[in-house]
Amino acid sequence: MRLRLKFAWLLALALASGTAPALAHGVTVEHRRVNAVELEARFETGEPMANAQVLVYAPGNPTEVWQEGTTDDQGRFSFTPDTSQPGSWEVMVRQAGHGVLTTIPVADSTAGGEPTPTPATEVEAGSNSLISPSTTLSPVQRGITIGSVIWGFIGTALFFARGKR
Amino acid sequence: MHIPDGILPAQVCAAGYAITGVATWYSLRQINRRPDPAAEVPKASLLTAAFFVASSIYIPVPPASVHLILNGLLGVVLGYFAFPAILIGLFFQALVIGHGGLTTLGVNATMMGVPALLAYHIFQSRSVLGKMLPEPTRTGLFAFLGGALGLGIAALIFLALIILNIPAELNATAEQAAVLTLSVGHIPLALVEGTFTAMLVLFLRRVKPELLEG
Repeated sequence: MRLRLKFAWLLALALASGTAPALAHGVTVEHRRVNAVELEARFETGEPMANAQVLVYAPGNPTEVWQEGTTDDQGRFSFTPDTSQPGSWEVMVRQAGHGVLTTIPVADSTAGGEPTPTPATEVEAGSNSLISPSTTLSPVQRGITIGSVIWGFIGTALFFARGKR
Repeated sequence: MHIPDGILPAQVCAAGYAITGVATWYSLRQINRRPDPAAEVPKASLLTAAFFVASSIYIPVPPASVHLILNGLLGVVLGYFAFPAILIGLFFQALVIGHGGLTTLGVNATMMGVPALLAYHIFQSRSVLGKMLPEPTRTGLFAFLGGALGLGIAALIFLALIILNIPAELNATAEQAAVLTLSVGHIPLALVEGTFTAMLVLFLRRVKPELLEG
């Protein structure tokens, strides 16, 4: 079964725009917004790849796992890449011997040490809808290709079945 | 059940290609010894087309979803033509449909082709092992066994390959559970393919018995 991965870039906004502390009984919660990557793994049948294992590798270190996790019931998984390591992040989704390794480009959004929202990040968000090149065939193109291959087999059969002269 | 690129280490892929090479050579040599090697090519070609399409037919077996393989059927009907037929079918599946991959072509061909040759020998042994049985039952039963065992052995090879090659960074328990679930889903599929093989063989026996002589 071949897999398709869909990526959606989330929240390319408002980095380090301020932290908001909330105090109650000695517990401190701070929040800030970060760039996260959400991915959705499906089997070729359209069925979500639920509870599949996900391994994330940082650029320049393809042997050490940077983060691991599992997809949810909808086959979704999200992680927050470290923007101080720009480049191609590799994500491996794997279940029961079916899997795919895909790369996600992460732009450098550090300027002067502090992460700031840059227009470049948003441009990239729009252009990053398809990763796997094998999914670029339209259903019609696929149908024609498969039909041609089948016709090749039938033609071979007819050629050898033409009888002896 | 095809193993895609990037799942198995390089040594296993190379070993798969080596076994495929030897099996192809042996099959072609057996074919070449026949009086007319080209006589069976039309049958082999049509069944290769069926094999190519079969992996796009999904059968939902909760909780997994499996697709037809038909390797046992090819073995029973084609004999030694089955191995080259499966190799060619897998090559086109990897290129066109995206099932499997080019680096794992050898492994996949071994996984499906060698059980197909076994299925052929199971079917051929019907005249020795099934002497007691009346004729249509005997052919049907051995065709069923060939079709079902061809797929069953392929599923066991798949299970072994995946379990022995789980990368260290993966959670091995979860992956083992997932691959076991998928393999269990192949038991009903083996019954379906065995029944289908028996039906096809009994049909051929009635309309064109010389096709089964090979």
